[in-house]
Amino acid sequence: MSAAPESDIELLIERARGGDTRAFEDLARREERALYRHALRIVGTTADAEDVVQDALFSAWRSIASFQGLSFRAWLFRIATNRALDQLRSRKRRPELPLEPPEDDDVTWAEPAAPGPDLSQLAGDREALALVEAALGSLPAEQRTALLLRDVEGFPYEEIAVITSVEIGTVKSRIHRGRLAVRNALIARGWRGPEG
Amino acid sequence: MQHPHAELSAYIDGALATAAQAAVERHVAACALCRAHVAELRATVALVHALPDPVPSRRLVPRLATVPAWLAPLRTVMTLASGTAVFLFIASSLVSNITFLASSGAATSAREASRDTTTAFRVDGPAAAQPASTSASGPTSAPSPNAPALARNPTAPPVAQAGDAAPTPDAAKVSERSVVGRSDAPGVAAPQDRGQFAASEPQRSPLLNPLLWLSLAFLCGAIAIALQRRLRRSV
Repeated sequence: MSAAPESDIELLIERARGGDTRAFEDLARREERALYRHALRIVGTTADAEDVVQDALFSAWRSIASFQGLSFRAWLFRIATNRALDQLRSRKRRPELPLEPPEDDDVTWAEPAAPGPDLSQLAGDREALALVEAALGSLPAEQRTALLLRDVEGFPYEEIAVITSVEIGTVKSRIHRGRLAVRNALIARGWRGPEG
Repeated sequence: MQHPHAELSAYIDGALATAAQAAVERHVAACALCRAHVAELRATVALVHALPDPVPSRRLVPRLATVPAWLAPLRTVMTLASGTAVFLFIASSLVSNITFLASSGAATSAREASRDTTTAFRVDGPAAAQPASTSASGPTSAPSPNAPALARNPTAPPVAQAGDAAPTPDAAKVSERSVVGRSDAPGVAAPQDRGQFAASEPQRSPLLNPLLWLSLAFLCGAIAIALQRRLRRSV
């Protein structure tokens, strides 16, 4: 997302911390779209996602003095993720799914019922993407959040642990379970995995 | 080694400790099932990554830099001003309509006799009321309305000159005063005079022009709406 050199970002962060609203707006604009897609896939509706991101950015501005440790991007994602999960809990729109499924290392790998198209060739397939989107939507919110932070936003496990305030082992488990659920949803529709 | 199924995601992300990473790699190289699963997981990651990017319908970055503290009070003032202007618009419309209705009958009968005088008044602008009283002396005085005015009201020379010079607000005020001052003159109540007075009414006082208040109401309203939108975006 950020095409600007790291030093430019550092400079903007310093200016924002010093109260420069324009510098903060510059920084926020770089992540606006990413925060929105992330929030949208957590809360499920565009209006809620827009509110979440706007609130999160405003809150980030007010607490910019407390920013430290994380990368600025991870810090923004932490605020937005917390807001989005709070929003989801308060609305109780989705059926209550266990936030933390019981640990089971040997997660079931569903087998394809019949040979189907190759998963690796489906990235452009609208139907497959819709299926992935639906599978993501049915995941427990915490699994979905970890999966999105990893596979869409590209955060390392360590940062995901800080963003979601859990141990790194939990992050590993959530990401793996989330991927497996999406993979199983695809397999259930007749796709087979690529030959490996 | 058992199938390291639970480690495969971390493995493809390179998130395992060095030793564990190497162990899984060895196993995957030798195990067709785990190799297939690794490929499936990679394909799944690729699909999740390829999901289309939704675009927000509005700007989500709050405008922090350009929200001065006086914006909200100004919006309130503009809203009130717009409301006041609407009230004044209605009031001035009523006043001019009533004046028009009250005098329209008399104006009709007087119009024919004083057409040339009326034309002169329209050109005069705010001072037009002044010659109205001059017509009391009869249509014959119309060709030179300023001369009688000078003669009858020597204390107000600017009014007399206003007929020829460009009208000024001062001239208008003096003109109004001179008309009021002469209101008990015998000729004022004559039908001709009232007709002339009504015909020159809209130009006598710009503050009674409903269009002025209407445009002011729209202007203030538009500013208030713009400020309100601006304020809502910023929080």
